[in-house]
Amino acid sequence: MVQERRILYEHLDVPDINTFDVFRQYDGYKHFEMTIKEYKPEEICDMVMQSGLKGRGGAGFSTGLKWSFVPRDIEPRYLCCNADESEPGTFSNRYVLEKNPHLLIEGILICCYAMGINTAYIYIRGEFTLGKRMLDAALNEAYQHGYLGKNILGSGFDLDVYSHPGAGAYICGEETGLIESLEGKRGQPRVKPPFPAVEGLFHKPTVVQNVETLCNLPFLMGRGVEWYTSIGRTYGDTRFNPPQSDPNTGTKLYCISGDVNKPGVYELDLGLTAEELIEVAGGVKGERVKAVIPGGSSAPILTHYELECRLDFTSLTLWKSMLGSGGIIVMNETRNIVDCLLNIMKFYAHESCGQCTPCRWGTPWVRDIVQRIVDGEGRQTTIQRPKFGITASGRWGDTGEMEEVYEDLDLLESVANNIANVDTMTWNTICVFGIAVSWPAVSYLRKFRPEFEAAIRDGELVTLPIEEATVPPEENYAYQQRIVPGLFEP
Amino acid sequence: MSDKLIEIETPFQFSAENQREFDQLIQRYPVKEAAMLPTLHLAQRQAGYISPAVMEYVAELLELPVMKVKDVVTFYPMFFEEPVGKYVIRVCYTLPCALRDCKLVLEHIKQKFNIDVASETDLAKGTTPDGKFTLLKSECLASCDVAPVVMVNDDLHKNLTPQKMDEILDSLE
Repeated sequence: MVQERRILYEHLDVPDINTFDVFRQYDGYKHFEMTIKEYKPEEICDMVMQSGLKGRGGAGFSTGLKWSFVPRDIEPRYLCCNADESEPGTFSNRYVLEKNPHLLIEGILICCYAMGINTAYIYIRGEFTLGKRMLDAALNEAYQHGYLGKNILGSGFDLDVYSHPGAGAYICGEETGLIESLEGKRGQPRVKPPFPAVEGLFHKPTVVQNVETLCNLPFLMGRGVEWYTSIGRTYGDTRFNPPQSDPNTGTKLYCISGDVNKPGVYELDLGLTAEELIEVAGGVKGERVKAVIPGGSSAPILTHYELECRLDFTSLTLWKSMLGSGGIIVMNETRNIVDCLLNIMKFYAHESCGQCTPCRWGTPWVRDIVQRIVDGEGRQTTIQRPKFGITASGRWGDTGEMEEVYEDLDLLESVANNIANVDTMTWNTICVFGIAVSWPAVSYLRKFRPEFEAAIRDGELVTLPIEEATVPPEENYAYQQRIVPGLFEP
Repeated sequence: MSDKLIEIETPFQFSAENQREFDQLIQRYPVKEAAMLPTLHLAQRQAGYISPAVMEYVAELLELPVMKVKDVVTFYPMFFEEPVGKYVIRVCYTLPCALRDCKLVLEHIKQKFNIDVASETDLAKGTTPDGKFTLLKSECLASCDVAPVVMVNDDLHKNLTPQKMDEILDSLE
């Protein structure tokens, strides 16, 4: 069985680790002290780049690369720490904020020192009242002990860190939405480019990083790049010449919830399979796994055929899903997928910020379609449409035949695909919220179509046995592009 | 004719303690507008909800048009424009909690107080007549490992059953 490797969470359960004195006993701020003495800012940026650290917030973008985009000649620059954890199924940042806030401050110190930043804001979710209290107390202590403020430890480096409460809007977890919200406006995302690294908070260069990413920095600096890259998996992409390495290094705080015996946060090396993770979390509650959501509710669902998929950024992208924020939700054989989709669609319809028309009108529309299917009022009329499948050439495409589908299911797919098209990966909205809606909608429908059809046909929710409810891989486009031949594991 | 579009009967002002906190807050940002959310949180804590008087006061403090404040207040679900109960009960209703029967807890509270779930536009229907409790459905509260969860004002309650919920609600003054 895969063993937990606790790095970020190593001292999480030590009593009073949230206080400065206890944190110091467990080598707190030592990594920062060492860093500021031994490394120049540019060297830190290089180390972060070499480590292959990827942003843990959802997009999995290379942190080192993001830092390299920040122009060094524009002052001031800002850091926004994204602690607006609201993706359903994710809860790892909460524990850091509530139990070990000094670790986050140490990470912020290293990041700001490397980037020459003198002001950092921690955008903390409005509902995290305990977390904010703990964080504010930790910030005060850090100021008192001279780890924040002017001329930190006599190095001439100044840093002010402030906590900033949000007010319950999911969209403020999107980086430009967060910046708008921090500026005191409605949290409606901005058009990119310009990216925040060039023009962000108060129209100045801004680095936006998730709590977990920043918490990785003290250990990366303290123990070195070699140690860091020895954890996790590094893939090579041979489509490039010379082959480009695609690192998935370090540990990830996997949050697992739903139908497992021991839900919670498990810190594990990146790249274990879904099956292994469920085993670590005490196995499935009930008889079998019906479906797994691998990265927060926006990620496309995995079926029981796909449990051998590795849960890291690269593999999940190849499997047409995403690791996202690492919130894994497991469903057992008693769950009805249509019902689960309704719950998720209600969430998105409520949280759409209302800026772009396709999303503002599309999300309630999708919700209403699923709602009427759940209520047993799905439209019984059928339409003819071209059947897609494996063609004579062996590739996925139009087979030339027609198929008969329920009007509502075609409509559901069409509306969702017009918010953001999951096949072409283009979205008709400003931010990626659009794709976060259509991904679950279309993937649930394509992978569990029999259950949707049964609900419309019978006029009530029917939970089918797993084999009958799931579309087998060979009939499903969602599986078709799974293996990209150019990728290998060295 | 008065140049004010809204007649405000009872003006709002920060208490001395909150004023001190506000003075600290405002120094953190290069532009005053950025202090909007913390200031509104502070005002809501004092006044209970964001009335037109509060909006006008905040607008004056931050040197903004009142409309900008209203714009923000209407966007964020945590700001109330109508009076709410002394205790605001937020029942998490997103998937991980739904998989762990949060419905039972919600239905139980509804029956216990004989109220509906408040919506953002109609808080009164989810508030008990004595003004003690307001019942709200909430999006994911980021505690899925201890689902189902309910937040009562600032306190998070975990692993709930209708019985446990009863004990918590009955213990509130």
